[in-house]
Amino acid sequence: MSAFDKLLASISGQSPRPPLRVLAASGQLGYGIPEAALKAGIARKPHVIGADMGSIDPGPAYLGSGNMATSPSMTARDLRLVLTAARQLDVPLLIGSAGTAGTNSQLHAVAEILRQVAAKENLHFNLALIEADMPRDVVVEAVNGGRTQAIGAIAALDNDTVNDAANIVGQMGVEAFHRALALGADVILAGRACDTAVFSAVPILLGYPAGEATHMAKIIECSSICCIPGGRDAMLGTLDENGFVLESMNPDRRATPTSVAAHSLYEQADPYTVAEPDGVLHVDSAQYEAVDERRVRVHGARWEPSPRASVKIEGATWVGERAILMAGAADARFIENVEDIISAVKETARDIAPPDPAHPYVLYFRHYGLNGVVDWPEPPEVLPREIFLLGECIAATAEEAKAVIAVVRQHLLHHGFPGRLSTGGNLAFPLTPPEMSAGTAYRFSVYHIMSLENNADLSTLFPIRMEEL
Amino acid sequence: MKLIDSARVIRSKNAGPTQMTIDILFDEAEAFEQARNSKNLTESAIAARYGLSQNQVRIIPYPAANALKVVMDRALIAGTPGDRDVYGAQQHGPLLDLVL
Repeated sequence: MSAFDKLLASISGQSPRPPLRVLAASGQLGYGIPEAALKAGIARKPHVIGADMGSIDPGPAYLGSGNMATSPSMTARDLRLVLTAARQLDVPLLIGSAGTAGTNSQLHAVAEILRQVAAKENLHFNLALIEADMPRDVVVEAVNGGRTQAIGAIAALDNDTVNDAANIVGQMGVEAFHRALALGADVILAGRACDTAVFSAVPILLGYPAGEATHMAKIIECSSICCIPGGRDAMLGTLDENGFVLESMNPDRRATPTSVAAHSLYEQADPYTVAEPDGVLHVDSAQYEAVDERRVRVHGARWEPSPRASVKIEGATWVGERAILMAGAADARFIENVEDIISAVKETARDIAPPDPAHPYVLYFRHYGLNGVVDWPEPPEVLPREIFLLGECIAATAEEAKAVIAVVRQHLLHHGFPGRLSTGGNLAFPLTPPEMSAGTAYRFSVYHIMSLENNADLSTLFPIRMEEL
Repeated sequence: MKLIDSARVIRSKNAGPTQMTIDILFDEAEAFEQARNSKNLTESAIAARYGLSQNQVRIIPYPAANALKVVMDRALIAGTPGDRDVYGAQQHGPLLDLVL
């Protein structure tokens, strides 16, 4: 009997359904789960353990390259913590967005680490791997059928964009997890997934209200970030038929009605609704009440099922190979004239190393102290006494990028300009060599909603592989 | 009073790679209402501070947390070459000295 079937049997026939404890072990598995809070959570005997492992936030490099942001050793450590706990309690363990972006390559890299951990700990269970790479022909068909829509300021999709992308993933919802549970999975490792689905899939399949379950999932997927002070410790959500109670597993973190309500704002363009593949969560009607100083009860969010399923798709495309230059300056005349100086040096570089018209290299400079972080519409009233320069060249090959940035470095160091005082050199290099190859540059080319012709198509987009460990 | 002195939290972050959101949280409902009704904290005033046009900025009040949410399009999609802030976590600076 699978961990889920045992859970189902234990609550079947009970009306109302008993309180269900969902432990959010981590919102970023692989960066080091705080162990004390996790242990406190495990001591509460959760009915299900969930962990999120990925996000689109770290940028297009992980989706484009298929490489993980977390280290293999820390990923193994965190997997060992959640895996041993879930198997000891014999409860379902769900992990979403494996390996940062949730590509198939990342999913299978994490799966290999998980197998090694299981073997070392002598753990045996049914593992489900759910893939989230989107078949290109399916996306192209959706584009041609007018079934894709941009999210925010990104170009509408066309066939070339789809075919040129290095990777395209889709965010799976509860549907994929439900299929894996039905196949007898004790542990589910999913590619790109809605962060909510990881925590709401089991409660919804057990029949708890989708609105409350999804709202709870939306809050606990970031573990204890919704608390004061916010943190990365495990968070416990206790769900019943009418609402849920939130409690951080670190006693120093307090969930208050305001701190939890404020979490609906976090990383959301719209604080009142959360779109999922199979419906929309409305939290405008939610109520937040203090249970005590560090626990909050929440209820009242509404779930509106969508007549037509849709999937959020994410894709990244290769831009070029990158080399960077790091340097500082403390010369008032240089700082005052830096924009003109950089423009002149870029011209010099173009004369010495003419860009290939087929794939011209691009030079970027960020002037920290002036406008390195924010693209301020106005310059500062008083110039800083020091600035830091980050130069960047993106070219067709790593060799070309490095060659160009070295030319820029040397000509910038010795560039003469009107009023120049420091004729020994314009730059302070903190490191030697001051320029270095910085890997491949990608950009997001797909961030769209793809609506499906038939809701049943969801099951074909996210295939499951079962294996017995 | 400047926003840096009246708000408890002023944070910016991506809302997906194509949009950026700035949350301004106040301790008290009174300060929230003052900010909400301030003629200096409008979509056009914020747009001017970021070099955007007014229709690229939206303000959404969220009374449950005494908060104002500002949503704007990113000039560059997060992580695109030339971007300055992949997470969008340091884009709140231009609002700090806004006088309510």
